Amino acid sequence: MSETHSQNESDVSSGGVLANDTFVRRLGELLSVTLGLAVASFLGWIMFTQVDYSLLQSVFPRFVEAFKLVLTIVVISSILSVSLGTLMGLARTSSSPVTSRISKVYVEFFRGTPLLFQLFVIYFGIPRLWAVGQFPLGSWEIAIAGFSYAGDWRLPAAIIGLTLNHIAYVAEAIRGGIAAVDDGQLEAARSLGMSNVQAMRRVVLPQAWRNALPAIGNDQIILVKDTSLLTVIALQEIMSVFRNINSNQLDPWTPLVWVCLFYLLVTMSMSLLISILERRADWSSEQEESESHLKRLVGSIGEGLGRRQ
Amino acid sequence: MSNESIVEFENVNKYFGQTHVLKDVSMEVKEQEVTVIIGPSGSGKSTLLRCTNRLEEIQSGEIRLDSEAISAPDADVDRLRQRIGMVFQSFNLFPHMTAKENIMLGPTEVKGIPEDEARERAESLIDEVGLGDQGDSYPEELSGGQQQRVAIARALAMDPEVMLFDEVTSALDPELVGEVLDVMKDLATGGMTMLVVTHEMGFAREVGDTITLMSDGKIAERRPAAEFFEQPQTERGQEFLSRLL
Ligand SMILES: Nc1ncnc2c1ncn2[C@@H]1O[C@H](COP(=O)(O)OP(=O)(O)OP(=O)(O)O)[C@@H](O)[C@H]1O
Ligand SMILES: [Mg+2]
Repeated sequence: MSETHSQNESDVSSGGVLANDTFVRRLGELLSVTLGLAVASFLGWIMFTQVDYSLLQSVFPRFVEAFKLVLTIVVISSILSVSLGTLMGLARTSSSPVTSRISKVYVEFFRGTPLLFQLFVIYFGIPRLWAVGQFPLGSWEIAIAGFSYAGDWRLPAAIIGLTLNHIAYVAEAIRGGIAAVDDGQLEAARSLGMSNVQAMRRVVLPQAWRNALPAIGNDQIILVKDTSLLTVIALQEIMSVFRNINSNQLDPWTPLVWVCLFYLLVTMSMSLLISILERRADWSSEQEESESHLKRLVGSIGEGLGRRQ
Repeated sequence: MSNESIVEFENVNKYFGQTHVLKDVSMEVKEQEVTVIIGPSGSGKSTLLRCTNRLEEIQSGEIRLDSEAISAPDADVDRLRQRIGMVFQSFNLFPHMTAKENIMLGPTEVKGIPEDEARERAESLIDEVGLGDQGDSYPEELSGGQQQRVAIARALAMDPEVMLFDEVTSALDPELVGEVLDVMKDLATGGMTMLVVTHEMGFAREVGDTITLMSDGKIAERRPAAEFFEQPQTERGQEFLSRLL
């Protein structure tokens, strides 16, 4: 009895499991190739039968303004939400119960209510706190370095809404990142005589930041896509432009091509940026070598561009 | 070993919640003394070390460094900690910094020593602990023994008057233990005051000046190393030694 048992075991280790693995792998490849082909042929079919290429060219200018607007909103809200979210995440781990509790309530509120609701509160609610026509940001104008820009409440409301909302997610990512740093790190830093602030800044935060990077990246990609909600506050972003074109031309597929390309362009650049940041936070000498390869590459591209001029 | 005591514990009591972990511990460590702390698991050895540089708070009694009470509510803990180096069982090197940067961080950040000067000092410390060409390696590229030697160098960079070692070889593969103990031996020979929690009885016998046996939160026996290993006076001591043989 025990002999059969051990023989079975050796069967498993000498081929059974392996054979099984190969089978599963082949099956997986088959499925993914099938799925890939199906999606590709659907897209190909759409591109050949549904997209009107002369319309595709002629509507592009109508998207350009929207692209610029959304990109501006994304860049500003990203920078603000990541930096303020980091502070909020620090506040979350504060040893002062007042600070940590207030930031917890903040996070719970902004994660617990829909972004759409928050946008409505800011866009519709806030101006009503003033008498009609008195809201100071109802129309404004700024001039920086020769450029002047005039606008109404929509753009600030959009940036404020996205920022406040994504601060909550970044804060959670940072809190998790700090919690994942071994207690021994703080103890080692403190035992050298570093203050709590010094230890956080030089030892804990750099590691927390690396731990939090994937989650922050994920959130920032969602931020890009959240700009599509801004259509509800009448901001002329990508989705609004699409709806105008679609209702005029009764051709959804052609403008959808631009919508898709734009969002993919922005989110994929974001992914690239994040993976560069992640690679920089991978601490080993090998990394530094490959980073200097990258620097050399960037440097040589720069030189090439310089020569062209 | 001189006759001046540099670290003094006076009726120290430490609780974790309801658990009484250090029970009325009193002890004096003389300048340049190597005191080896031994005892069964859970007897409070780590806690005693961690209270010494106030990583843990005590509930009553007093701990003094050079007659300054580090346990006092108004003590300048950050400043006193600079004078006490600590080496941990799990190394706790900063993974985002090279060996050299690990060693330079304390002096530059805490003492405000210029970068160049700190780097020079770090390089000579790296040589001292026998890591000549590893200064630019990151911790994850070093063996456990090498990491622990960097950790010792990091603590030494602050020019401490006392060094605390908490089972610093316990996490190491057996073949790497020797290189770390050798560095500690050199330190002891150089006149460093050391409190060493260890299970390495060879080291205790050879390098230790005094042996402190802890048992159940109390100091069961504290005597010169030679005497202790010759014939422990207490039943606890005899029991402990016989279990080791
Ligand atoms: N952070 C903590 N919270 C609660 N109890 C603790 C804590 N740290 C230690 N203890 C308890 O205090 C007692 C002494 O622990 P300590 O780590 O000092 O023992 P030790 O002598 O170093 O043991 P070992 O040889 O296993 O390292 C143990 O009963 C332990 O469970
Ligand atoms: Mg211990």
